[in-house]
Amino acid sequence: MKNKRILMKSVVRLWLVVIAVLAVEAFCPPQSLAQLPPRFYWKSLSGGNGVPLIFESISGNTNPFDPADTVTANADFEATMALMGYAKTFPLFNRAAFAAVIVPMGRISGEVTVNGKTSKQSAEGFGDPMLEFDINLIGPPAQMNIPDILLYQPGFSVDLLVDLTLPIGEYDSDKQLNIGMNRWYGRIGMPIIWQLGLWVPGQRTTLELLPSLWLYGDNNDFVGQTMKTDPKFQMDAHLTRDFTKSFWGSLDGTWFYGGKTSINGVEGEELNSVGLGLTLGYQINDNLGLTFGYKSTVNDSDPEDLRMNMFMVSLVFGWHPIIEGMNRLKGEF
Amino acid sequence: MKKKMAYSVLGLALGTACIATAAAQTEQDRNSLPIPEPQTKKINVSDVRNAAPPERFEGKSPARRPNIVIILADDMGFSDMGSFGSEIKTPNLDSLAKDGVRFTNFYTHASSSPTRSMLLSGVDTHLNGLGNMNEMIAPNQRGVDGYEGNLNNRVVTLPQLLKDAGYHTYMAGKWHMGKKPDQIARARGFERDFSLLDGGGSYWDMKSASAVSPNSLFTEDGRYLTKLPKDYYATKTYTDKLIGYIDANRGDGKPFFAYVAHQAPHDPYHLPRDWRNRHPREYDKGWDAVRAERLKRQKEMGIMPPDTELAERMWFIPDPIVLAPAPLYILGKKMELYAGMVENMDFHVGRLIDHLKEIGEYENTIFICFGDNGAEGTDLFGMIAGAQGSRDNLFAAIHWSWTHPNAWGEPGTWVGYGPMWAQVSMTPFSQYKGWLAEGGIHNALLVSGPVVKRTKGSINHGVMHVADLMPTLLEVAGTSYPKTYQGHEVPPLYGKSWVPMLAGQTDSPRTKDDHLAWEVFGNRAVRQGDWKLRWQIKPFGKSDWELFNLAADPTERKDLAQERPDKLKELVVLWDQYVRTNNVILPNRTLFDTMEKDMPQRVTVYPGFPPLIYNKQFEPPKDMMADPKP
Repeated sequence: MKNKRILMKSVVRLWLVVIAVLAVEAFCPPQSLAQLPPRFYWKSLSGGNGVPLIFESISGNTNPFDPADTVTANADFEATMALMGYAKTFPLFNRAAFAAVIVPMGRISGEVTVNGKTSKQSAEGFGDPMLEFDINLIGPPAQMNIPDILLYQPGFSVDLLVDLTLPIGEYDSDKQLNIGMNRWYGRIGMPIIWQLGLWVPGQRTTLELLPSLWLYGDNNDFVGQTMKTDPKFQMDAHLTRDFTKSFWGSLDGTWFYGGKTSINGVEGEELNSVGLGLTLGYQINDNLGLTFGYKSTVNDSDPEDLRMNMFMVSLVFGWHPIIEGMNRLKGEF
Repeated sequence: MKKKMAYSVLGLALGTACIATAAAQTEQDRNSLPIPEPQTKKINVSDVRNAAPPERFEGKSPARRPNIVIILADDMGFSDMGSFGSEIKTPNLDSLAKDGVRFTNFYTHASSSPTRSMLLSGVDTHLNGLGNMNEMIAPNQRGVDGYEGNLNNRVVTLPQLLKDAGYHTYMAGKWHMGKKPDQIARARGFERDFSLLDGGGSYWDMKSASAVSPNSLFTEDGRYLTKLPKDYYATKTYTDKLIGYIDANRGDGKPFFAYVAHQAPHDPYHLPRDWRNRHPREYDKGWDAVRAERLKRQKEMGIMPPDTELAERMWFIPDPIVLAPAPLYILGKKMELYAGMVENMDFHVGRLIDHLKEIGEYENTIFICFGDNGAEGTDLFGMIAGAQGSRDNLFAAIHWSWTHPNAWGEPGTWVGYGPMWAQVSMTPFSQYKGWLAEGGIHNALLVSGPVVKRTKGSINHGVMHVADLMPTLLEVAGTSYPKTYQGHEVPPLYGKSWVPMLAGQTDSPRTKDDHLAWEVFGNRAVRQGDWKLRWQIKPFGKSDWELFNLAADPTERKDLAQERPDKLKELVVLWDQYVRTNNVILPNRTLFDTMEKDMPQRVTVYPGFPPLIYNKQFEPPKDMMADPKP
């Protein structure tokens, strides 16, 4: 019979729940221009901020900085990439929305063949920054206060996603291998979250789909030639599941289709590739989330097949003024 | 030849077993029960076809006696039914109120098993074995008659007497009056039963809250269950079982006594998913607002007098308007769950009512519905498992640790709604379960059925008590309470029959001179007429006698002990008499002994104090506002 204490304990426990929920669902920008991570489109408190820091180690026969995934037969590229960005969540027409900017950077090296001659090339520097805007169309309303976070359950949610990349990254028109792409490109997509079962930290399960269409401008100075790329359809799929309140995993799949590239009218192969992967995520504390992932293409033994594998580690720092204030008050009363 | 021999054997058997009962048709002496079977002559014929059948021996009773259904809700508060002012939707219970009478001055005991023991024995707790709850027996009470912690064998039970009087007797739900084979429902008079023997636990499975007793015990027809039926959910299963028992014996001409002792809405608030979100954000407004709304409706309905004041918000409960949205939501969500528990129980009560209508028994059935004590304001789970590092805390970490609101209702979650909502459930009264303030013992009561001759849908304010059920229902069944049962004397009844009052001949089973008294956990109370004497340990009481005039002050706001020493003295005399008559032994150790040190110091709660946290932003006159000068 310690009612006062029990009440206060209940409230303290509540705050802990609130903080954990906010942190777990904090904004998590993409670690790759090619595929967004699982749980990327879960919604959090409006007014939140996120800064991702993502490291990727990639090898394959395509330039990972190139969203067209143009295959260079028999090539072997090695790339180390980092992506940094900033994202802000906000309400728009009472719907959850966010805007983000992501800047890739890093280095890439590999053997490329030009006119039958093979040479080793490398590039480094900043890539093309990408602007991203997302708004939820079907699903819970924007989260405006802490109870809204606790009430959030995606159920069946559908968003509208628009990406636009600015062609201002490092580019050398004398080289085939670049970090910047020297052309405008972007995509529209519809992220879908399908909640499976209860929405309880430690038990959450989702099936997430992202059908999207990439659209590319022309690169009019690709080693003195014109590069055109047809639209590419991409379907990302993730089956995610909490292992504990803070630890989760995902089976990831990607399918690319289309995106035929032509150089001065010489057409390449149309993409039709599948990649599979695993992701593990862990919420380190109220602000910091860690993920580790591996992805690889499958059925890629033919030289013309897209071949790529990637290790990825991401750290995402998220914050919100309310949560920061609560943290500052910890221990004060 | 074989056939003839068979008849002969049967005839001999009948000859030794059958009993002629001419005596049964004369006036029966019910001071000693069961009524002994009359001595009869043996039938000495070898062929049964030649034997005259003996006159049937049976308890004498009215031609067509009503069925009796007692619906007991666990920890449901005074104001939780729609017909008592609640916003919780209870259309089926309300339909009983509409067909019957609502009683506003009905008393139970302050906790579960003491109330149940009085319900089924009609005898005061200190004589029937529940002088203290089994879980709380004090060192000085151990081994003392009346303090066994289970319904003792000195009392005879209502189902035993009704069965002797020709009733079928069925029970489904929580028993909580003993676990040993001679203490369970089957041994205490129920022909059929599906019983939870413990005081609570999961609604989904056999999980209990305590590591030392990790599994809840169930019996079915007197056998201890090794597992629960498929698709078990307590409230649903209890109802299914009861309906099954009723159907199994339909058509044999005997009335039935059905006791459904729902576990609902006792915590943990386990609920099927589609019952969890029927009041979204409705309780974010906070407990004070809901209490005020309920009292307003109670006054409009005539449940409470128009000048009733709400009991003071308890001193350790914050004013909800000073809380942030998150705690309001979380705490309100607990009340949403509780409301769902009551509504789900009401739904299953409706299934039982509908079934009785379908089989044509509704019109001949008395329904009696009430809660077993005040609403639960104590964190029971915290008491058991709250101490980190304890055995029970480890057990809770393994089995009861799903604390997120979205999980509430699932197996592995334990939600109780706390003292603030318990006070709402007990609107307009003070305090809650476990205490002898009105909030601990004053409950809502519905009675409907053929014995009720009062105006349908009416409200009665007579003073009634749970122990009245025994004499009332025996009278309804055409039988009476014996002086001896199976050869031993039984304790005297504590209650009074409601039959004259239900028939409209009186307005109350009690006169102003009659009194009621309670003792549990060392707290004490006496009510006589409009006056109530109360002794409760600090800080819930003053560790001294308090005196209230319930007619003028039903919510016990003003202690009149100093102003009316004469009345105080009168009631203390009644208390002493109660102690002597019932062998009351005050416990020398209770869980409340350190409460005064553990809780915030008791202070008077004045609305709007301190102004520091209530004064709103001052808005200067617009025409006097200006930008700073350069």
